[in-house]
Amino acid sequence: MTLFVQIIVSGLATGAIYSALALALVLIFRATNVVNFGQGEMATFSAYFTWQLCLWGLPLWLSIAIGLACSFLLGVLTFRLFIRPLLAAPVEATVVVTLGMFVLFQAMVTWLWGAEQKPFPSLFPEGSFSLGDVRILASSAGTLLMLIVLAAVIGCLFAFTRLGLSMRAAAFDRVRSVLVGVNVERMLMLGWGFAAVIGTVAAVLVAPRLFLSPTMMTPILFYGLAAATVGGWDSPLGAVAGGLLVGVSESLGANYVGFLGADMRIAVPIVLTLFVLLVKPVGLFGSQKVTKL
Amino acid sequence: MRNSVVRTAATIVGFLLVAALLPVCLSGFQLQQVSIAISYAIAILGLNLLMGFAGQICLAQGTLFGIGAYVTAILNATYGVHPLATLPAAAAVTALAGLVVGLPALRLQGLQLAIITFGVAAAFPQLLLKLGTWTGGVSGLPIDSLEPPAFLADYSELWLYLVSLGCACVAAMIVRLVLFGDVGRALRAQRDSSQIAEALGVNLTKTKLWAFAISSALAGLAGGVFAILNGFISPQSFLAPLSITIVIGSIVGGSTSIVGAFVGGLFITFVPTWTSNINLALGNVIYALALIGIMLLARGGVAGLVDRLTAALTTRSNPNGKAGQSAN
Repeated sequence: MTLFVQIIVSGLATGAIYSALALALVLIFRATNVVNFGQGEMATFSAYFTWQLCLWGLPLWLSIAIGLACSFLLGVLTFRLFIRPLLAAPVEATVVVTLGMFVLFQAMVTWLWGAEQKPFPSLFPEGSFSLGDVRILASSAGTLLMLIVLAAVIGCLFAFTRLGLSMRAAAFDRVRSVLVGVNVERMLMLGWGFAAVIGTVAAVLVAPRLFLSPTMMTPILFYGLAAATVGGWDSPLGAVAGGLLVGVSESLGANYVGFLGADMRIAVPIVLTLFVLLVKPVGLFGSQKVTKL
Repeated sequence: MRNSVVRTAATIVGFLLVAALLPVCLSGFQLQQVSIAISYAIAILGLNLLMGFAGQICLAQGTLFGIGAYVTAILNATYGVHPLATLPAAAAVTALAGLVVGLPALRLQGLQLAIITFGVAAAFPQLLLKLGTWTGGVSGLPIDSLEPPAFLADYSELWLYLVSLGCACVAAMIVRLVLFGDVGRALRAQRDSSQIAEALGVNLTKTKLWAFAISSALAGLAGGVFAILNGFISPQSFLAPLSITIVIGSIVGGSTSIVGAFVGGLFITFVPTWTSNINLALGNVIYALALIGIMLLARGGVAGLVDRLTAALTTRSNPNGKAGQSAN
């Protein structure tokens, strides 16, 4: 029983990272109807930038703050350069462009910083504490806490502020938002910026555990995509729940299903996603979309 | 109509001319590389059918390619089947594998297929290692080298080139036939407006599944050819980025063009070779810029550019004719 709880706790901690990335993906999807395959690699790029600042002697917290600010700009920039010209294009076209961003950022990281792994300082203290029989790493608890704070901030932003309302309106109906005076383009840009920041948070949280490498976020991107599909692409709450669910089931699958083991754990989210698509295609928290001709 | 027949004939003649000239101009090693490019082109042809005409993105085309290669290798290395005889099996098994993945994802609109296949591509090399008893694990599998017939006894590269070219011609003909038939029309209809197509009686799921099955079969065939050309395969040849590379080849060549598939195949074979001497990351930077640039500036890829050029030239010489209107 203790082992079981232990596995769930470790699953929740990884799940929190998937949730963060899924949240970024869902934000962008809601705003611009684009699935951003470049999200993870953009985050890797920002994480490397943060690491470089640390290396130049800035304190960790300051580096992260600057890194987050720069990733906001990066998100805005990619939107202006690559996505805005394609807003009216078919879905396949935008996906191909985000795939291009995936390849581009990965190549740039490899070019600038090389392919070797680099250690990344942890945000949280070493050590662990016990809750009953279960040992919880300080970094796991910290990661979960960060996710909760992040989700709460985003949730409050959308629910209670004028900016959030405008962003929701812009995402819901671009044409009519313009009519009521919302600056739609700025809202979409902000959406991309916020998403890039959230992605970077995920990367900074995962980097100490996996080491920095150009392909660090690639598997996590898939887990994020799976989490968003499981939770529902139009629901930020679903993204968080989906991420945690994917994390826990991955951890359970890797430990209890003999064939999978540690190296085939990626099969768990694939099966989970296929299952959700068969049973409830809009995702657990998604809403049915009605299209008019 | 006459215009398009003339253009198709001209394309075929031009293609055969280039195909015949290549073995004369190139060294044995270069010819071998062109053959490999042709095997990629077959996979890209399949993806063009799916992406260019059905509007679905598959990010596991490299995985399906790998499945085909492994079917060929296993049938040859373990059961002693002649390499060429394994190709239909490679295509059939891969089509089945594609259907298993595609069935849940293709019932829905949107990007589910892209998302699922992205994960499948990441899991495939691990799965190959897990199934080591059949796939040979890290050490891979050898494939018997193809014995050229007596009159080509001294030109084994030429024979391999001809084999891959033959397979590519079959693949191109299949795609052409599919596109001319009802399936092709239904595919284009559902890509342009799925709701209207459905209202007109197109069974969306069935149409998309057909496209995906044919696309997978071509990927499997391509993989089989690739295995024969290489004479040896291991999981290392089918890592996840291969699938994205195939998408890049499709977009660069022009995802609604048959000739474009060959341009794309050559692009993804030769760019890494040329750039790896300068900087390992350079090839990927070029890939990425080509991909984004083409989507932003010239959606039709290289083939689209050529089409536009010829259209511009023919309209100038013949001001009454409406050239460049055909959808192919």
